[in-house]
Order: sequence, then structure tokens, then C-alpha cells
Amino acid sequence: MSVFMDLNIISSNDKNRLKSIIETAAHLGYSTVAINYVVEPQQKKQEIPKPQSVSDIFDKFPIVQGKSSPIKVLNRLTIIASDASHFRPTNEYKSFDLVAVYPKTEKLFHAACMTFDVDIICIAVAEKQPFHFKRAPVNGAIDRGVFFETCYAAAIRDTTMRRYTIANAISLMEVCKGKNIIMSSGAERPLELRGPYDIANLGLVFSLSEGDAKAAVSTNCRAVLLHGETRATASGVVYTMKKPKTPQKQEEESPVSKKCMRCSAHSWCPVLTAT
Amino acid sequence: MHVLEIWYDSSRGNEGKELLCAFLKKLTNRSNLSLFCDLSRYLLCEVCVPDRSSLQLLEDRSIYNTLRAAVKRAHGDYGSALFNIGVIVKYLNAHTGVVLIRSRKKHYRLIWSALSFITCLENRGQMVQCFLNCLHVGGTIRTCQKFLVKYNRQQLHRMLPDCKTDAEKQEVRKAILSCSLSNVRDEEADEDGSDDDDDDDKET
Repeated sequence: MSVFMDLNIISSNDKNRLKSIIETAAHLGYSTVAINYVVEPQQKKQEIPKPQSVSDIFDKFPIVQGKSSPIKVLNRLTIIASDASHFRPTNEYKSFDLVAVYPKTEKLFHAACMTFDVDIICIAVAEKQPFHFKRAPVNGAIDRGVFFETCYAAAIRDTTMRRYTIANAISLMEVCKGKNIIMSSGAERPLELRGPYDIANLGLVFSLSEGDAKAAVSTNCRAVLLHGETRATASGVVYTMKKPKTPQKQEEESPVSKKCMRCSAHSWCPVLTAT
Repeated sequence: MHVLEIWYDSSRGNEGKELLCAFLKKLTNRSNLSLFCDLSRYLLCEVCVPDRSSLQLLEDRSIYNTLRAAVKRAHGDYGSALFNIGVIVKYLNAHTGVVLIRSRKKHYRLIWSALSFITCLENRGQMVQCFLNCLHVGGTIRTCQKFLVKYNRQQLHRMLPDCKTDAEKQEVRKAILSCSLSNVRDEEADEDGSDDDDDDDKET
């Protein structure tokens, strides 16, 4: 029983188109999809679009083929970065479930693999890869749990793009040995989606092994989701939740704020006695 | 000439085949016995279109020609040669858009990978925008039939909440109950070892 996900559906302002894409995805068997907001920050303008709430699109989500639960829809942000200043994790990034970056230069690719706080690094599909993949940053990314993404919609649209997609994908697979890869659609219309088993077969064309190709559509995608969820936590172990305030608690607020964690451990407080 | 059909486990390679051949030769006292394996893979696909009405007049020739062009574009002369020897469209249902394509066992993955690149079908001079979604890969037509019965029953279940009138609901319920494959053999000896691998891959 594997769960298939398609983590790249290009968002548009046309709600009906989004609706039909998501319905087709549910018919094909995808349990989760992510709507991708692509941002290309120009020199000084840094406008991050606010993701529209998922319940706006559907009041009743379509049921996934072969299961009885409705399809899950998430929001994702992709930053096309040609300069290091373009990627600045602000509070607005927190409203997205997944964050991805599309580096355009070798230095940025290195920085994205080693230091940036992202879940997904996108690989060029519409053009020849401007830089070569080096083993060091790719292995660093694999250790950190960052995933590389290939989109296949360009390959379906046009023959020239198909050559670039296959070439770039194969050169990536050679370096990373098939680990930490996800394949997603990048679909703008419902006819550009393909079923999960067809995509796993496409993975064989990209010189992945059978197990890796199937994982690229199922288990690796799930790992990306978990990585996105734990971005807001401390090393994935502790996370904070806002506790709803009841009226009685408000009276005790001032003494509670004076108390700190160490007081409960010791009988004196080093912080307060110092001041 | 008598033809005897024997199903055996080929997971251990050729030694089983050699032993079987030797055994049969001794049993029948004939030295001119030969075994030939007719392995094939059947790809069960569904044609997905945005509006159902354009599916009505679909022919198996159009699927065959489109598939041939796609394999030629994706895999060149090698692909065309493989297509010519093994591939044939066995079954087409224009109402539901289900296609059954047969190909040789060694090359079915190549043909399958070219399937994903099909964007439109040419049918009696008209171009229909569509895509092919592969539902099941089986070693025999019977396994594909069994899967198709299960799949159609699932589709009817999905259609039930969308029914507007009670009469439609009754129709759908009756159709669900009457879904069955006559003379379905339950023997596991139907499929040889490698079939089970594919079937396991496809089971969700």
C-alpha cells in the first residue's frame, strides 16, 4: 500500500483549472498534491504571494482512486534564485508547507545544498544545465535530507525540452546514485498529468533502478513532507503550539511570567538574583 | 501435431527448462521434442479525455498508429523494430476508454515508457487531446480481465455519490452486483514467478 504524491502543480488564478487538475490527480491515484507558487524576485522587489487557503478551491475534496479518503492539498513556494540575496527566509515563508529553491548558478547550488533552509532543490528542465553537478555539495544535501526534484511536464510538451530533461536528469543521477530524488509533474493543465506507475517507468528512462524509481514517487515524497513539517521545530524533536488562553489564567499572568524554568529545578533563580 | 501447454516456475533460470525437456523426451520416447516459450505482457490502459463525448468513435487502428509514432519519436529505429515484431492492440472499449496492448516480455518497458509521451490521438482525421494512463500489467489476458472487473466495480462505487436520481442509483447498484468474470479460475498456477512480481508492484 503506497501513497503517491505529486508535489508540483503550478498555481494559477483560474480556479476551475486548478479544480480540474486536482480532480484528475485524484482519479489517477495521487493522495497528496502541492500547489506551487513560483516567485522570481527582481532586484529590490521581494513580494511573496500569500497562498490562497485550500478550502477556497473545493468545499468537498475529490476521493482518491483506490482509497476512501479525500485528496490532501498543500501549498509550496519556489524561489528562482540567481543571486544569494534572493533567498531570505522571512515569516512569510512559514505560511507555506514546503519551500523549494531553483538555483541558477554553481555558487548558489552549493549554498543551497549546504546551508539554505529548504526542502527541495529544483533541477533545470527547459535549458541545458549551466553548471556541472559536483559530488561534494550533492552528498552534503543528501546528508541534510534535502531532495532534488525533476519535473516531467516539459518533456511531454516539447521534443527539445525532452532532450534537456533527460540529459539533466541522467547527469544528476550519476552524481547522487539515485538517492533523494523526487519526480513531479509541473503541470499547468490536467492533460499534462500522468499516473504514478507511468512516472516510475519514466524513472527507468532516467537511469534510476526500479526500487529508486518507485521510491521517487512515493516514499521520498513523504520524506519531503515530513522535512517541511519539521522546519518549524527544533531539530525535529520539539515543537511549540499556541495554547488557547482561558480567562482565569489571565489573572495569574504576572507571577507566572516571573517564574522561569530553572526556578522549578532549583530553589533559587540565578537570573533574577543577578538583576 | 499435439501441443501440450505446461506452466513452470522460471525463476531459477534455464535449468528447469532443460530438465523438463529431458524428462519429457524420456517420457514420450521422442527425440524431436522442442519447447518454445510464448512470453508476453499485456498493458491495460485507460484513455483519459476532458470530455467523454470525444471518445465515442475511437478505433484500435488509431491507437496503434499513435503508439507507433510515439515509440519512433522516443526510441528511434530500435524502438520501431521492436514495435513491429511484438506489439498489437488486443481490445478496445470506446465507451469506457479501456485499451489492452500486447507486447513481448523483454521489451514491454520500452513500449510503456513511450506511452507516457502520447498527448493526442488521431481518430478519423480529428485530433483528440488525451493521455493514456496504465492501470495494470499482466502476463495473460485473464489476469487483466480479473483486474478490469475489480476496477470497474470501483469506478461504479465512485459514481454512486454523484447520482442525482433514485432510478440512477438503482441502476448503478444493480450494475455493481452483476460485475463478475464467468469461469474465473482461482489457481495460482496461472501465473509464473515473474508475473507475480509485476502484480505485486501494481497492487495498492
